[in-house]
Amino acid sequence: MQHAGLRIAAIAVVGLAAVLAVGVPALVPVPFLVVGGLYAAQLVVDDAPLDPAAPAFAAGLVVGVELAYWSLDERDGARGEPGDDLRRSAYVAGLGVAALLVAAVVMALVDVVRARGLGVDVLGAVAASLALLAVVLFARGREAED
Amino acid sequence: MTRRGTARVQGYALLAATALLAALALRRPEVAVVAAPLALLLAAGTAFSSEPRIDARLDLSTTRTLEGDDVDAELALDSSAAVGRLEVLLDLPDDVELVDGRRAFSLSLRPEERLVPLTLRCARWGVFDVGRVALRATDVFRLVVWERRLRAPVLLKAYPRLEPLRRVVSATETQAFGGNEVSRRPGDGIEYADLRDFAPGDRVRSINWRATARRQRLVVNQRHPERNTDVVILVDSFVDLAAGDRSTLDDTVRAAATLATRYLERRDRVGLVGYGGILRWLRPGMGAAQRYRLIETLLETGVEPTFTWRDVNLIPSRVLGPKALVVALTPLVDARFVTMLEDLRARRFDLVVVEVDPSAVVAPGPGRGGALARRLWLLEREVLRGRLERAGIAVGRFGDDASLDEALEGVRTFRRYASRARV
Repeated sequence: MQHAGLRIAAIAVVGLAAVLAVGVPALVPVPFLVVGGLYAAQLVVDDAPLDPAAPAFAAGLVVGVELAYWSLDERDGARGEPGDDLRRSAYVAGLGVAALLVAAVVMALVDVVRARGLGVDVLGAVAASLALLAVVLFARGREAED
Repeated sequence: MTRRGTARVQGYALLAATALLAALALRRPEVAVVAAPLALLLAAGTAFSSEPRIDARLDLSTTRTLEGDDVDAELALDSSAAVGRLEVLLDLPDDVELVDGRRAFSLSLRPEERLVPLTLRCARWGVFDVGRVALRATDVFRLVVWERRLRAPVLLKAYPRLEPLRRVVSATETQAFGGNEVSRRPGDGIEYADLRDFAPGDRVRSINWRATARRQRLVVNQRHPERNTDVVILVDSFVDLAAGDRSTLDDTVRAAATLATRYLERRDRVGLVGYGGILRWLRPGMGAAQRYRLIETLLETGVEPTFTWRDVNLIPSRVLGPKALVVALTPLVDARFVTMLEDLRARRFDLVVVEVDPSAVVAPGPGRGGALARRLWLLEREVLRGRLERAGIAVGRFGDDASLDEALEGVRTFRRYASRARV
């Protein structure tokens, strides 16, 4: 399982490099989905009570995705002001820390509440549907008169 | 402004939605924990993003410049709210270069006016709209962008650079107004012309006492008055032969602007006829205002394709006065223009031709056949030049090998010795 996981992770890294080389922003989530799927599979196989590394994984995922988009942003040719890169590095670092904190808080809530049942399932399904709705809305774009 | 989500929105939403569904399916809360920061970032970014009101205005230090000269400009950006990242794209015409500054750049904006200094340069003459600016504002999380294109025209007129020129070609006939050209007719002036017998009404100061003593009767001096002339500059805009940064039309317009300026400096009246797909004309006039009118009319010159046969009768007679000197600037390529020149000469117009030599921009074709074709073409041009000169039309060549001054010197020499032209 560990060897298979390493292989899949390597494929994800190569896939991310390919996506960045080709420069297609729509494909950026794919390697991260592969890595996330690997993490989920690991959780299912281990069947541990609650993985304490989940907040760190969440923070790493957010930072990784943001860095990948940053890499693609640099291709548009619009050079920023001096100090722009430093500010953005600080922003990404702050985003990672914020993601770590948010995930840790959610993790603590999960540990305390330990709720199960139809209500939680429905809540999760609604959250997932809202996220998908956001994709559809912003993919269409909206125009407002100036 | 047009609002749209960036690729981040789709990416974060896809990752969050997949993680939440996976958490439900696998019954693993850790996967939902991974989705939480992404979902929160998405929700916060889209909820708190508000449309910024951004105005951009390009101010030029001058709206008129010479081709090749730098023009200072300032891009004023004004926003009603702070903008994390504003990308600016200056959509400049091809012939306008940005000497100082970048066409595409990004900056952060506070709710106050910000000035970005720029330096523009026009590579060639013309009228250019430099006011097209594209703006793209991004929110702090870079999830939402607002785009706007500003199309308020900001016109920059680049006048053609003048060619060095010491002397112009003098017209055969002068007009009634005072000027710098010595008229061939007798009258009040400075230049001595001839002697004649005294007539009642002649002034005493014009009596030539030495000649009177010699001839034993009153004799007076006759003089040539200084008059101005009418000059009509005829620009051939049927074709433009161009290679690289060289173009016969560019050279034609530069030569026309130079001639117009020099003739107007001599207090001559100068008119303009643009003869091509579109017929443009400007009645002869004098002074600084006429110079601006002429050059701004020249800036509109372009090649408009046409297959119609044009005729000299289309040109209004007020523009082409009977005693006007017609200076034609042409690459001598289009048969319609050549026919019109011969027609003008047949109508006894005082006509000179400045040939804007296209041989430098016409490269020979490949192989021996191409070289032979080019030789034949050059020989045909020699024949055409000879035909025009036999008709009494002086032809001067202006191009890489000869300056405008040299071209006009050739014209003056021809007119000095030609049987049908008098200078």
